[in-house]
Amino acid sequence: MVQKKNAVIVGGGTSKFGVRQAHLLDMFQEAAKACSDDIPALKPADIDGLIVCTTMAGRHSSALNTAPLVVHRLGLKPTSICIRLDTLCAGSNSGIIVAKGLVESGIAEVILVTGAEKVYMPQRWETNYTQLMVNDHDWDSAMGLGVPPPFFAMIAKMHMKRYRTTKEQMAHVSVANYNYGTTNPKGHFSGRTLTLQEALEARIIADPFGLYDCCPLSDGASAVIIASEERAKELSDRPLVYIRGTGQHATHSMSAGWPGETLAEWPHLKKAGEVAYKNAQLTPKDIDVAQVHDCFSISEIIEMEELGFCKKGEGGDYVASGAINLDGELPVNTDGGLISVGHPFGASGARQSIEICKQLQGRAINQVKNAEFGLAHNLSGTCAQHTVVIYGKEPVE
Amino acid sequence: MSDIKEVKIVGTPALEGTYISEMDMWPFECQEFNRIYPFYENLREGKFTTTKCQKCGHIAYPPGVICPKCWSEELEWVELPQRAKVVTFTETQAGAPIGFELPLIMAWLDFGKDSPLKQLLARIVNCAEGELKEGDEVKFIVFNVPSHPIDVKKETKICDRVYYAFEPVK
Repeated sequence: MVQKKNAVIVGGGTSKFGVRQAHLLDMFQEAAKACSDDIPALKPADIDGLIVCTTMAGRHSSALNTAPLVVHRLGLKPTSICIRLDTLCAGSNSGIIVAKGLVESGIAEVILVTGAEKVYMPQRWETNYTQLMVNDHDWDSAMGLGVPPPFFAMIAKMHMKRYRTTKEQMAHVSVANYNYGTTNPKGHFSGRTLTLQEALEARIIADPFGLYDCCPLSDGASAVIIASEERAKELSDRPLVYIRGTGQHATHSMSAGWPGETLAEWPHLKKAGEVAYKNAQLTPKDIDVAQVHDCFSISEIIEMEELGFCKKGEGGDYVASGAINLDGELPVNTDGGLISVGHPFGASGARQSIEICKQLQGRAINQVKNAEFGLAHNLSGTCAQHTVVIYGKEPVE
Repeated sequence: MSDIKEVKIVGTPALEGTYISEMDMWPFECQEFNRIYPFYENLREGKFTTTKCQKCGHIAYPPGVICPKCWSEELEWVELPQRAKVVTFTETQAGAPIGFELPLIMAWLDFGKDSPLKQLLARIVNCAEGELKEGDEVKFIVFNVPSHPIDVKKETKICDRVYYAFEPVK
């Protein structure tokens, strides 16, 4: 029997996120370049597998079978895997889950997982219109559900009602993430800071959300290298960061199948987290730094609860206590998260995983002291699916 | 770049005057493109229906071709309740997808513990901004939405369509 190998994240990079004057394929190239800058020994010929993660490519860039396009632009010649994958907002963390399995089984040695989106179109209405396709089109979308703020606003209203969460508690998430993200050179809102007062006085997007409760839609790309432990040692001298455990869970596609008692309970996230912790042989207490899917401020609050970092219903108190700050119990979204860095769907997961990789290697901009274990989480679409990836400086036994 | 005042925007040139199905905001409801077409035929009669499994008794929503509990193909059409209570709601004043009138009101509905369909996100129509309250009762309503052409052999057939929403009970 062939011995199972360990899969590690070697490093990675992103393009600038934001409203970009660039084509989808330009941004895939920018992310690959940033990835190679992060891993100087990496040559295109070292890469035997490619996983391309994008949702909008077919509609917005007329690029349905996207992987060969990326192969050509990056000068790759993959032999183990060459696919395009779409799980919307979790794209590239899903790609990392697939890459882990391929590396551990020996099918692949060095895989480039890359995600990108060209969200903005020549006319802004097209972007909102396309979002009718990312929900269950014939059912929820035909009710008018396009862009996510109205749906998450209802989640926030329900959480406020059931658990007495306040707008001020939600604003603590926005303030923390903007202030982390101000030093991120690639972020949509690089250089921007935010005060609690500014957050609370912002114009309303969808009651109860003000502008800063919502992440922006962004163009952008990210790329990471997932490799076997042996190949990783040849590519980089940095400490190894192992993919310890993963979990992915979906229960429904449209509102009628919502798994929670109300919108404020996300049992499908709880389940995805439990599976990932079990595979990683860890508990929530072991996690030193987390990147969770802050598409809205309320999302980060509920994620703290369902991922087990605080009790159910106490997420508002938890974030307002400073627990998520750099000197807190669990620094969260230390690169700025979706709220500050922006959200090019398929690129966001790898962007989070790059930050966890840097944290565990001791080279993050907002460095958490002695970080040993880190967690990345995405939700997809209107909270239909959850994806969790847990990293550590040691492999699972 | 040209001055927009001098250039007539004619639409995507190769597609001018055509109906683009892949850009449609409504379902393809006709029998030629949907095995759950009875749902839409029932809508036309004012009925809110779905499929029930004759093997295990599970009532699914949305309707399907197999039962999502036991994968049986033996299904029958049954009616769903047409009244529900508003749990929470949201009013969109800007940024709604093109084709939806403002304010776009969406509500999370509760059909009660005895209903096979427990909860649903639904558009609320015939309701002014600021009028809806949590706990309000709403009722099912059917309305016409734009028709579309389909090619049937060498002919073009027009498919009429309907959709549903909810409105306040007054």
